[in-house]
Amino acid sequence: MSKRIVSLFRNLLRKRAFEQALEDELQSSVEVLTQEKMKEGFSQSAARREALIELGGVEQVKEEVRAARAGRILEDFARDIRFGFRALAKSPGFAAVAILTLALGIAANSTIFSWINSTILNPIPGISHTSDLVTVMRGERSEHPTPPFSYLDYRDLRDNNRSLSGLLGFHHDFMYLTGNGEPARLWGALTSANYFDVLGVRPILGRGFSPEEEQKPGSVVVISYGLWQSHFGADRSVVGKTIAIDLHPYTIIGVTPPGFQGCFTGLRTDLWIPLMLDREVWGSNRPADRGAFWLNVYGRLKPGVSPQQAEGDLNQLMERIAEAYPEAHQGSPNQISLDPLWRSPFGTNVYLYKTLPLLQGLALVLMLLACANVANLLLVRSMGRRREIAIRLAVGAGRGQVVRQLLVESLLLALAGGGIAMLMMTWTAGTLAHFDPATPLPLSLNGRADLRVLLITLGFSLLTALLFGTLPAWRTSSINPVAVIKEEAGSISGGLHKSRLAGGLVVGQISLSLLLLICAGLFIRSLDMERRSDIGFDPNRVVLASYVPLPDHLKFGRDLLAKLESTPGVESATLADFSPLNFTVHTDFIEVGGYVPQPHESMEISLGVVGPKYFSMMKTGLISGRDFTDHDGPGAQLVAIVNQAFVDRFWPGQDALGKRICRSGRWFTVVGVARNAKYRRLIYGPEPVFYLPLFQDDRTPVIVHVRVSGDPRSFQLQVAEAIRAVDAGSPRSSAFGSTSSPVFDVTTLEDSMQLGDIFERFAATFAGSFGFLALALATVGIYGVVAYATRQRTREIAIRMALGAKRGDVLGLVVAQGLRLTLAGLGVGLVASVALTRFLRGQLFGVTSTDPPTFIAVSLILTSVALLASYIPARRAAKVDPIVALRYE
Amino acid sequence: MGEKRTDLLRGTLDLLVLKAISLEPLHGVAISRRITQITRGAFQVSFGSLFPSLHRMEERGWVEAEWRSSDNNRRAKYYRLTSTGRAQLKTEERQWNQVVKIMAAAVESS
Repeated sequence: MSKRIVSLFRNLLRKRAFEQALEDELQSSVEVLTQEKMKEGFSQSAARREALIELGGVEQVKEEVRAARAGRILEDFARDIRFGFRALAKSPGFAAVAILTLALGIAANSTIFSWINSTILNPIPGISHTSDLVTVMRGERSEHPTPPFSYLDYRDLRDNNRSLSGLLGFHHDFMYLTGNGEPARLWGALTSANYFDVLGVRPILGRGFSPEEEQKPGSVVVISYGLWQSHFGADRSVVGKTIAIDLHPYTIIGVTPPGFQGCFTGLRTDLWIPLMLDREVWGSNRPADRGAFWLNVYGRLKPGVSPQQAEGDLNQLMERIAEAYPEAHQGSPNQISLDPLWRSPFGTNVYLYKTLPLLQGLALVLMLLACANVANLLLVRSMGRRREIAIRLAVGAGRGQVVRQLLVESLLLALAGGGIAMLMMTWTAGTLAHFDPATPLPLSLNGRADLRVLLITLGFSLLTALLFGTLPAWRTSSINPVAVIKEEAGSISGGLHKSRLAGGLVVGQISLSLLLLICAGLFIRSLDMERRSDIGFDPNRVVLASYVPLPDHLKFGRDLLAKLESTPGVESATLADFSPLNFTVHTDFIEVGGYVPQPHESMEISLGVVGPKYFSMMKTGLISGRDFTDHDGPGAQLVAIVNQAFVDRFWPGQDALGKRICRSGRWFTVVGVARNAKYRRLIYGPEPVFYLPLFQDDRTPVIVHVRVSGDPRSFQLQVAEAIRAVDAGSPRSSAFGSTSSPVFDVTTLEDSMQLGDIFERFAATFAGSFGFLALALATVGIYGVVAYATRQRTREIAIRMALGAKRGDVLGLVVAQGLRLTLAGLGVGLVASVALTRFLRGQLFGVTSTDPPTFIAVSLILTSVALLASYIPARRAAKVDPIVALRYE
Repeated sequence: MGEKRTDLLRGTLDLLVLKAISLEPLHGVAISRRITQITRGAFQVSFGSLFPSLHRMEERGWVEAEWRSSDNNRRAKYYRLTSTGRAQLKTEERQWNQVVKIMAAAVESS
C-alpha cells in the first residue's frame, strides 16, 4: 500500500524526475546493446542502429512504460469501484439504509450551510468583495439600533478620516410608487452620492449618483433590477422615464445589477434616492440638523488598515465633533464601534450569526450520529463477510488492499448519499423563506445552492466516508483468516456481541442523540415559555391594515375610526405607527424630567405613536392615569403615557403622573402609566416604552388596529373597504390618480406577530427535526446491533433453553444487553449535554440550559425507545425452539 | 521477435522476469538475455514488454531498482527481488506448476 502511494506521488508530482530516469535507463540500455553489437563485429554506427532496432525505438518503449504505469492506477481504481458496486448491489437493503442515513446527515448540514452562505458569508447579495466592509455604530451595541448618525456628523467623519477608502450613509423607509398602474408600497433608501461606488455596484443600465448630486441633486432615482422587472417590464428604455414616488416626480437614471438588493442583510431595497431630497420628499430637514440621527453608515477599510485602527481614528474624530456641537450630542453616547457585516447590528445577521452556527453545530452532531449508524451497519455487515475476506487474505491479498477495497465501498456510499443530499437540498435550501411571516418589511432571507454549497456538500460526503468507513475497514481487515474459517465450523456465537467497537458505537449513538434531543427539547420548551409569557395585550380577533399617511391624516384618521366603529361586528378601533412583535416599533432619544443620566447612558427609548383609546382597544391595562382620547390633538396640551418598565428605570418609587419627557425639543406631560407589553421579540424581557398621541405627531406611517367580534380573517375585506370608502371622500384619491387608493398589509395581528419569535421558531423547528431524526437513527442503531447480536447467539440461547432457561430469562438476557448500552449512552450523553447546552443560553427564554424537566423527559423517552428496540429481537429470541435451532446449526 | 509467443504467454512474463533476477540483480538488457538463456532460446522478450513489466513490478514492490556500474564501467539500472517479490515468485511458480499439472492431466485424459 505505502509503496503504491509512493509511486502514485512519484507519477503525479515528480513526473519530470521520472521521465528523466526512464530516459537514462533506456539510453544506458542502448549503450549496453551497442557494445554487444560492436563485440559481434558491427561498426560503431551500425551497432547503434542495430541496438535501436532491437530495442524497438526509445520513444515507443517509453510510451509502453507510461501506459503500463498510468494504466495500473486507473485499472486498480476501476476494479475497486466495479467490485464496490458489485458488493453493494449484493446487499441492496443495507446500501439503501446506509445511503439514506448519510443523505439525511449531509443534507441537514449543507442546508444550514446554504443559509450561512447566503447571510453570514455573503451579507450583501450581488457583491463579492465584502470582507473589508464594516458597519459603523455609535453608542451601545443593540440588536435593533436606530440609525446612529446625523448627516453632518457623517459628512465630517467621511471627509476627515484617514483609515477608510469610502464611507457611505443611507436611511431607508417605505415609499409609495404611484402613477404606474396600481400604487405600490416600496422599500426605498435615501443615500449618500457615493453609495454605489463604495459598495462597488455598477448599474447595468444608466448610471449611479454623481458626487455633485450629494448637495444639489435633481429629482433622480436608481431602481433595483427586481423593480425594473416587476413594475417596468424590463424595458431597456426606462432610463430617463419619470415616475412618481410619494407624489413627487423622479427621473430614473439607472438600474442596479440582478442580485443586488441593497446593503441591509435580509431586507430588499427597491430604489435609491439622493439623501438631500429628504427635504423635498418628507418635508423634514434632517440633512441640515446635526441632532437628527437617521443615517446607517458603512465604511470600506483602506488596504492594510485594521478595524481597530479605523475604530480609533473615527472615535478621535467623533470626540472632536461632540465637543464642537455639545447640544446635538447630549443624551446619546458617542462611542463608535465597527463590526464586520457577518455580525453587523444592521439587518438580520445580528440574530442569525448566533442562531445559524448553533444549528450547524447540531447538524454536525446529527451527521456524526449518521456516521456512527452506518459504521455500525458496516460492522454488522462485515460479520457476514468475514468468510469472504478471510479467503481473500488467505490467498494473498494484502491487508492494505482489503482496507482500500472497503474504503472504496464506503466512498461509493458517501457519494451516493451526497448526491441524494444535493437533490434534497434543492428543496430544503429554500425552506428558510417559509419562516418569512406576513410582515410589511421586505424580508428577503433564503438559502441558495451555489457552487460553494455544492463543494461543501462534496466535502461533507468525503468527511462522512472517512468517519464511518475507516474503523470498520481496519477492524474487518484485522481478522485472522485461520481463526475465522475454524470458527465458522461450529462456534457458539459469532463474536459481534463481544465487539467493543460495535458496543462503543451504540453508546456513542445514544449519547449523540440524547444531546440532540435535549437541545431540541430546550428550544421547544423555550418557545413554549415565550408564547405563554405575558405579552401585555390581547392579540385575538384583531385586523391590521396600513395606509399611506398624507398631510390631512388627522381628519382622515378620525373619519376612518368613526366609520369603523359604526361598522357592525367591530368592537373597537385605533391607530398606531407600529404593530406589536413585528419589528416596526421605533426608538427615539429623549430627556427625562427629574432624571440625570449616567455618563454614557443611552437615552434611546422605544416609542409608540398611538391613536385614541389605544390601551383599551389593545387590552393593555393602565396602572394609573388615563388613556389617550380624541381630544389629545394638535391644539391641546402635549401628553405622553409611559409603561411600568419606564417608571421603574427613571422614576422608581415615584408617581409618574405629571412628570415630563422631552422629545425633539418638545415637552410632553405624563398622563398615564401602562402595564408592560412586548413589542419587539417574545424572548426579550420588559423594556421601557413611552407613548405619544398620534394626533399630536407629524406625519407617520399608520397601521389601523380593529378588534372585531368574529373571525378576523373574514373582516379583512371590510376593513380595507372602510379605508377606501373614507378615502373616496377625501382629496387623497385624486392625489394618487387612482380609483383604488393604497391599502397595504391587510392581515391579522396574530399572523403579523409571527415575526416576534421567528428566530426561535426557526431554531426550534430545525433543532426539533434534528432531534426527531436522531431518535430514529438511535432506535435503528440499537435495534440493529441487538438484533444481530441476538441472531448470532441463537445457538447459545438454544442451549440455555435446552438446559432449562425460561423465556423470561432469555428476554431479560437480551433486553439487559440493550439496556446496558443505553444506560452507558445516557451517562455519556448527559455529561456532554450539561457541558454543551450552555452555548444555547443566549437563545433560551424561561428555561435554564440544564432544565431538569427537559433532561429527565428526554432521558425517559430515549430509554423507553431503546427498550422497545431491544425488546423486539428479545421476543424473537425467546420464541426460538431449541431443537430446531440446534439442528439447524 | 517472438511477438506471438509472448502474446500467448503474457501471464508468464512476470514469472520469467522474477525468475531471471532471482539469483542476482540484473539490468534490463541482461534480464532479456537471461530469459533467452533460461528458456534455451525459446523466448526473446521484446523490450516494449519487458520495461513496462519491470516498472509494474517495481510499483507493486516486487522488485527494487538501483543505479550501479555495469561490467564495462557503464552505469545501468539494476533490478533486484524484494522479499514480497520473492514470495510472489513462489506463488507464481506454485500456480504455474498447478496449471501445468492440470493441463497435462486434461490433455492426457482424452
